[in-house]
Amino acid sequence: MTSITLNNNDYKKEIKQKTAKPLLWIGLMSIVMFFAGLTSAVIVSKGTAVWETIQIPSAFAISTVFILLSSLTFYLGERSIKNNQLAKAKVFVLATLVLGLLFTVTQYIAWTDLYKNGVVWAGSESSAAGSYFYALTALHLLHLLGGLISLLVVSFKTIKEKYNAENLLGVQLSSTYWHFLTALWVYLYLFLIFIA
Amino acid sequence: MSATHHHHEEQDFLFKYIFSQDHKMISKQFLITGFLMGFIGMVMSTLFRLQLGFPGESFWAIDFFLGSWAENGVMAPDKYLALVTMHGTIMVFFLLTAGLSGTFSNLLIPLQIGARDMASGFLNMLSYWFFFVSTIIMLISLGVEGGSASAGWTIYPPLSALPQAIPGSGLGMTLWLVAMAIFIASSLLGSLNYIVTILNLRTKGMTMTRLPLTIWAFLVTAILGVLSFPVLLSAALLLIFDRSFGTSFYLSDIYIGGQVLEHSGGSPILFEHLFWFLGHPEVYIVLLPALGITSEIVSTMSRKPIFGYRAMVTSILAIAFLSVIVWGHHMFVTGMNPFLGAVFTFTTLLIAIPSAVKVFNYITTLWKGNIIFSPAMLFSIGLVSTFISGGVTGLILGDSALDINIHDTYFVVGHFHIVMGLSAIFGMFAGVYHWFPKMFGRMMNNTIGFFHFWITIVCAYGVFFPMHFLGLAGVPRRYYTNSEFPLFDNMLDINELVTWFAIVAAFAQLLFVFNFFYSALRGPRSSQNPWRANSLEWTAPVEHIHGNWPGEIPEVHRWAYDYSKVDENGEYVSGEDFISQVVPLGPNEKDGGH
Repeated sequence: MTSITLNNNDYKKEIKQKTAKPLLWIGLMSIVMFFAGLTSAVIVSKGTAVWETIQIPSAFAISTVFILLSSLTFYLGERSIKNNQLAKAKVFVLATLVLGLLFTVTQYIAWTDLYKNGVVWAGSESSAAGSYFYALTALHLLHLLGGLISLLVVSFKTIKEKYNAENLLGVQLSSTYWHFLTALWVYLYLFLIFIA
Repeated sequence: MSATHHHHEEQDFLFKYIFSQDHKMISKQFLITGFLMGFIGMVMSTLFRLQLGFPGESFWAIDFFLGSWAENGVMAPDKYLALVTMHGTIMVFFLLTAGLSGTFSNLLIPLQIGARDMASGFLNMLSYWFFFVSTIIMLISLGVEGGSASAGWTIYPPLSALPQAIPGSGLGMTLWLVAMAIFIASSLLGSLNYIVTILNLRTKGMTMTRLPLTIWAFLVTAILGVLSFPVLLSAALLLIFDRSFGTSFYLSDIYIGGQVLEHSGGSPILFEHLFWFLGHPEVYIVLLPALGITSEIVSTMSRKPIFGYRAMVTSILAIAFLSVIVWGHHMFVTGMNPFLGAVFTFTTLLIAIPSAVKVFNYITTLWKGNIIFSPAMLFSIGLVSTFISGGVTGLILGDSALDINIHDTYFVVGHFHIVMGLSAIFGMFAGVYHWFPKMFGRMMNNTIGFFHFWITIVCAYGVFFPMHFLGLAGVPRRYYTNSEFPLFDNMLDINELVTWFAIVAAFAQLLFVFNFFYSALRGPRSSQNPWRANSLEWTAPVEHIHGNWPGEIPEVHRWAYDYSKVDENGEYVSGEDFISQVVPLGPNEKDGGH
C-alpha cells in the first residue's frame, strides 16, 4: 500500500480520491456479513423447524433478468463516461435506473404472487420458510433502495454532464454498489431455490 | 483549536465543535459520552449491589435514584432485572466499545500513523452523532411505561420477545433494539474509517511493521467489528419481526395462562447462535484496544522496547481469528451435541495461548526496566494482573464439562467482570491518563491518580474475587435476592462484603472524575512530549491544529520502540534513552523489530 505525504492544505480532496473506494468495499463486507447471519439463521431454522415447500414465483426470475441487465447497462454507462462518450452514457445510465425500478416492481409482484399462494410473512398462517422468503428479499430491496437513490444522483449528474474521463468517482462508487446488489441478488435467488 | 493555514475557512461554532469532522474533537466527544454512560452504569450497579448485599432493605439512595421503581426505598424485583440488563448493555457497548474504541482509535490512528485526519471526516462525525442518538434512546427507554429492557444484556427470547413476559419487554425492549441498531451503524461507520485510514493513509516510511501496537490492535478490532456487528443486527431485526409483526423466528410452543400463542416453528437457540456470534468477538473488541494501549504504555514507561513485537502482532491476529470460532462456549448447556461442545472447548482453550504470549511479553518488557510508575503505568500493570486472574477462570469456564456446573452462576459474573470490568476499563483509564496531555495539553494530577488506582484495584478485586466462591457454591446470577434459599444462607455475608467493596470502589471513581475535569481546565500545561515517547503523536504540536502537523507530515525511519538503544560501547545511540520514529537511522544502525 502506498502512503501519501501531503504538503499542501488540499489534503481533504486527495484523501477522498484515495479512500472512497476502500471505504465502500469495507462497507460491502459488512453487508455481506449481515446476509451471512441471515443465511446461517435459515440453515439453523431449516434443521429445527417444520419446513414448508414454497413455490417460487416466476416474477423472481424476471427480476433476476432485470437486475442482471441493469448491471450490464451500468457497466456500459461507466465505460462510456471513461471514454468521454457522454451522450451514450446518458442512455445507459437512465436505462439502468429504469431497469432498477422494474426490478423493484417485479419484486412487489412476486410478493403478491406469494401471498396469493398462501405464503404469508407473519401470523398464525405463517411458516418459517415463508417468513424467511419475505425477510431476505425485503432486506435486499431495502439495500437496493439505497442503490436507487445513489443511481438517481448519478443519473442527474450524468445528464448535467458533470462527469468525464478524469472525474467519475461518483459513478464508480455507485456502480460498484450496484454490481454488489446484483451479485447479492443472484446469490439470494439461488439460495431461495435451494431452500424452497 | 486554531486555524493556522491561510486556505482554511473560518468554521462557525456548530461545525467546529458540535459537528466537528476533526478526529481529535470527535475522540473527546466519544470519551465524554462514554464516561457519562459508564457513570450511569456504575450507579446502577451500586444500587443493585445494595439490594443484593442487604436484601429487601430500604435505602435512601434507592429511593432517590429509582423513584417509582422502588417502593419505600426497596427495589422492585422486575426493576432489579431492568437494572442488571441496562448495566450490562451500557457498560459493554456504550462504555467499553464506543467509549474505548471511539476515543482512542479516533485520537491515535491519524496521529500515530502520520495522517492529516481520518479517511472520511464526514463519516466519522456521523459515527459519533449516531452513537449520541443511540445513547439518548437507550436512556429514554429507562423512563417509559413498563421500564427498560429486562431480559439481561443478552436479551434472549422468549423473555425479550413477548411483552407479556415481563414489563420491560414492552416499549422498553423496542427502544433497546432501536438504540442498538443505531449503535451498530455508528460502530460500523467508525470501523470503516479506522481500517481504511490505517491501510491507506500511513505516512512515508510507516510500513505495517513499524506501526505501534496500539494501531495493530485498533485495526484488528475494527475488522472484527465489521465482521461481527452485522450479525447482531440480523439477530435484532429478526427479534423485532417476532415482537412487532408476529413472525416466529425465535418462538414456538408458548403457553401463557393456559393459552398457546400463535407463534410456532421458531427456536430461541437460533437467537443464541446469532447473538453470540457477535457476542464473543465483542468481548475481544472490548479487550484488544486495552491490550494495545498497555503495550504502548508498558514499553514507554519501562524505557524498553516491547518484548516480542512480532509475537504481539501475531497474537492479536490469532486472538481475533480464534474469537470468531468459539461462540458456542456461551451455549454449552443448550443441549448441544457433546462432541460439538468438545470442539468449542478446544478452540476456546486455544485462545489462552496468544493471550498468554501477550502477558508474558508485557512482563518481560517490565523486567529490568527503568520503570516510571505513573498512574497510566499502574493501571497498565493492573491490567496485566487482572487479565491473568480473569483469564484463568476463562479456562475453567471454557471446559464444557465444568461449565455445566458453573454456567449462569456468579463464577461467570466474576470472570467477565475481572476481564472486562477490570482489565478493559483499566486499559481505558491508563489510556486517558497517558494521552491526556495529547487531548487537553495539560497533565493530570499524579497523586490523585495513585489513590484512584490503588483504591480501585483493591476494591474491585474485593468485589469480584469472592464471586468465584459464590459461583462454585451454585449461587445463580441475575437473581433479585439470594436470601430466599436456605442453601445460600452462609453466602449472605459474602454478598454484604462485596457490596461494601462496591460502594467504596464507586466513590473512588469520583477521584478520577474530579482529576479529569479539574486538570482539563486548570492542570499544569504539558510539554510536547511529556513521556519522552517515540511514536508520532508526540511530534505534533501541543495545540491542536487541523491537519495535525504544520507543514509536511514527518517521515518515519524506524519502528516505535527504540527505547534505551545502546551501541556496542553501551552508550545510548542517540544520547538519550529514546529515539523518536522520525529520527533517521545512523550509519551503522539497524531498524529494530525486523
